[in-house]
Formats: sequence, C-alpha cells, structure tokens
Amino acid sequence: MSYNVKLDIFEGPLDLLLFFIKRDEINIYDIPIAHITREYLEYLEVMKQMNLHLAGEFILMAALLMRIKVQMLLPQEEVEVEEEIEDPRTELVRILVEYQKYKDASLQLKELAERQLRFYPVNTSSQNSSWDPDIFLSNIGLIDLGVAFKKILDLRAQPKYYEIEISKVSLNQQAQLLRTMFLKRKRLRFSEIASVMEDRIEVVVTFLAILEMVRTSELRVSQKTLYGEIYLTQIQMKDNHVVADA
Amino acid sequence: MLSQTHRIVQALLFTAQEPLTQSQVELCIQEEVNLDEIIAEIGDYFEQEKMPIWIQKIGQGYRIMTRAEYEPWIRRLFQDDGNVRLTRAALEILSIIAYKQPITRGEIDAIRGVSSYLKTLLEKKLIEIRGRQNGPGRPLLYGTTSHFLEYFGLNSIQDLPNLKEVEEVVNVGISEDDEEGHADQ
Repeated sequence: MSYNVKLDIFEGPLDLLLFFIKRDEINIYDIPIAHITREYLEYLEVMKQMNLHLAGEFILMAALLMRIKVQMLLPQEEVEVEEEIEDPRTELVRILVEYQKYKDASLQLKELAERQLRFYPVNTSSQNSSWDPDIFLSNIGLIDLGVAFKKILDLRAQPKYYEIEISKVSLNQQAQLLRTMFLKRKRLRFSEIASVMEDRIEVVVTFLAILEMVRTSELRVSQKTLYGEIYLTQIQMKDNHVVADA
Repeated sequence: MLSQTHRIVQALLFTAQEPLTQSQVELCIQEEVNLDEIIAEIGDYFEQEKMPIWIQKIGQGYRIMTRAEYEPWIRRLFQDDGNVRLTRAALEILSIIAYKQPITRGEIDAIRGVSSYLKTLLEKKLIEIRGRQNGPGRPLLYGTTSHFLEYFGLNSIQDLPNLKEVEEVVNVGISEDDEEGHADQ
C-alpha cells in the first residue's frame, strides 16, 4: 500500500488522528478503527525510519488504538444482561471531539490576533504592551551577526607578520565606550563603531561586548537584510544605572 | 464641538500606556464623567476629521489605535512582518486556557494529548497563575491576563468566539451521539 502522508508537524497523537479523519473523510462518531490503526502505525513506522524522536504520547495512543481494535473484535459474551454495551470507541471519540473543538478555537484566536495586529497603539512608551519584545531579534540570527562581523574583519588590512602582544582592550572598556557613544546617539551602526577601532582584536572585543550587552538586555540589535548593516539600539534602563556608570 | 473635557480625555488617551479606564479619568479630572459618551464623541470627531486613528475598547478601558489601512507603512517603520508570533501549540494552549479557566496543566495536557509548555506564555504575560486547585498535589491553576485581551482585541473574555459554533463545525453531517458536546460549560 502506497503511503503518501506529507510530514506535517503534528502537535500530538490526537492531531495526527484528526488529520487521518479529515483526509479520509471519516465520520468521527463512527471511526473504522482497523483502518485508522493501520494508518497510525504506518505513520509511526515512517517516523521511526526517519529517526524522528517519537514522543511517549504517540506510543500510548498506538496501544489505545490496538486495545480498542481488539475489544471490537471480541464477541460480546453476557447476552442475558440487558444493559447497554458501551462502544469501545466512545472515550476516544470524546477526546478527539474535545480536542478538535479547541483546535478550531485556536484558529479563530489566531484570526483575532491577526486582525488586532493591524492596529498599532498610539502612545510614546517604547515597551508597548502589544509589542513583542522579541521583534527586534526576530529576523536576525547568530549567523547573520557572525557574517556581518566577518565582513568587518575582512575589511581590516591583513598584516603580513604578527607580533603577539597583550591586548590593551577589555570587554568592560569596550562596553563603556559603546555606552559613551550612546550618550550622543540613540542608534549606532556596527560598521561605524568598527571603523574607529584600531585593530582586529579591538573589533573582536567590541563585538563580544555587544553580545554581552544584548545578553544583559542593555542593547538591541537589528538588521534589515541578510548580511546588511547591524544597528544597535540602547534599551532604556528603569534605574538609569547604565548612564550613570558612563 | 468638543469641550475642554473632551480635549483632556484625548490628552490622557494619547499618553496612557494601558487602556484608559473610567476611574483613571475621574481621578485625573476630579469629577464624574460619562466616559463612554465622551469616547464616542471623540471617535466621531476623529472620523469627521479623517484622522488616521480610532478608539478601541479593550478590557475595561479605551485606547487610541491607528486605523488598519495605515498598517503597511507602520509595519515598515517597525520592520514588522505582521505575523502572529505564537506557535500552533501556543495558540492551542491559549484557547484551552481561555475557555476553561482556571485550569491546571494536567487538564490542558489531557485535552491536547501531549504535555504543554506554558513558560513562554507566562513570560509573554498572556497567561497567569491564578492559585492552586484543592486536590491531590494542589496543582497550579492558570488563567488569561488583561494583556491577553489586548493582544486579541477583546473587551472581555465573554467576547471570545462561541465554542458552540466551533462544535457545529465539528458535527457537520453527524446526527446521533451528541452527548460529548455537553462535557464543558
């Protein structure tokens, strides 16, 4: 049997089962358990072959499906007791319907958020509440930062011979230098900063100082395009100690 | 014509960092006001003057927002791609908490069939801890925050899309067995 499920990222076993139900147009209240168990196990097999980590929940669901399948195959014995025999699938259906409900609700929530994102609040606070603070780093990764850094290094003249000397610049010193630069301007370009550096080691230390300041939330870095200019923005501290230090 | 009070409220709206409430305005003006009415009149004024802003009711307060049609330019200013920065999992967890709060992590996990990671949502202040459930292990209870309302542009949690409607979507073409639908509030 050909197997052509596209490897969506499923949030869990319920998500995966709902995918099969939707794809095969199955009535959720009358699930062909043998069919869906087979599909499910095949998918798990594919995941195993691809060496994808299988969360315990997936295995647990496989066990549940097989148990239901067995229960449905077994003949019902006590015929004399006239009580309603519960369909072994009932609990599974209940869980699936419940999950589907919130999954749909989450899509509606997403639409609400998308609608709301089209409006920007008017006020002067930089830490605006509807803003995601991550936004400034959203389109810049470590690689981009590294590439920009490499570009600056390449611009420096390559010395023909080397003289090893003890570095005069320290991380703190360069951090202070940046803070001093920020006293005059709110936004700095990395290329500008690098252009006043005397040698590669100073650029390196300054870059490390920037990384450190990003880590301690003193700075934000942003970049418009890949390999583009890196802009540094100082984050205003509430207690102003940064400015006082400088 | 707008009165001095209208202009004061406008000034407050422009500078407030969170949705401006009736009690805040009364505290500032030192007299009772009908904020809903004032807001409506200022809103009309913005409209008449074709200003790029409008007033949105969020939670218990009001906030001046830019109009949707200016989004493309503002987005460039903020270098924002306009995408919702929440993962599918996060949205699922949020919707469960929103509809069933206060709720424990165990209950969320039971609905989703997988374990749920709440730390990011807590950090983004979209959810908060509401206390502990009386029961074994006294698990923490979670609920949505006022920032949640702001993020989704809701007046109150009652403004959430009706779960029943969602249910109807689920039940398309299914007749019998409807006992499942009444499992929650």
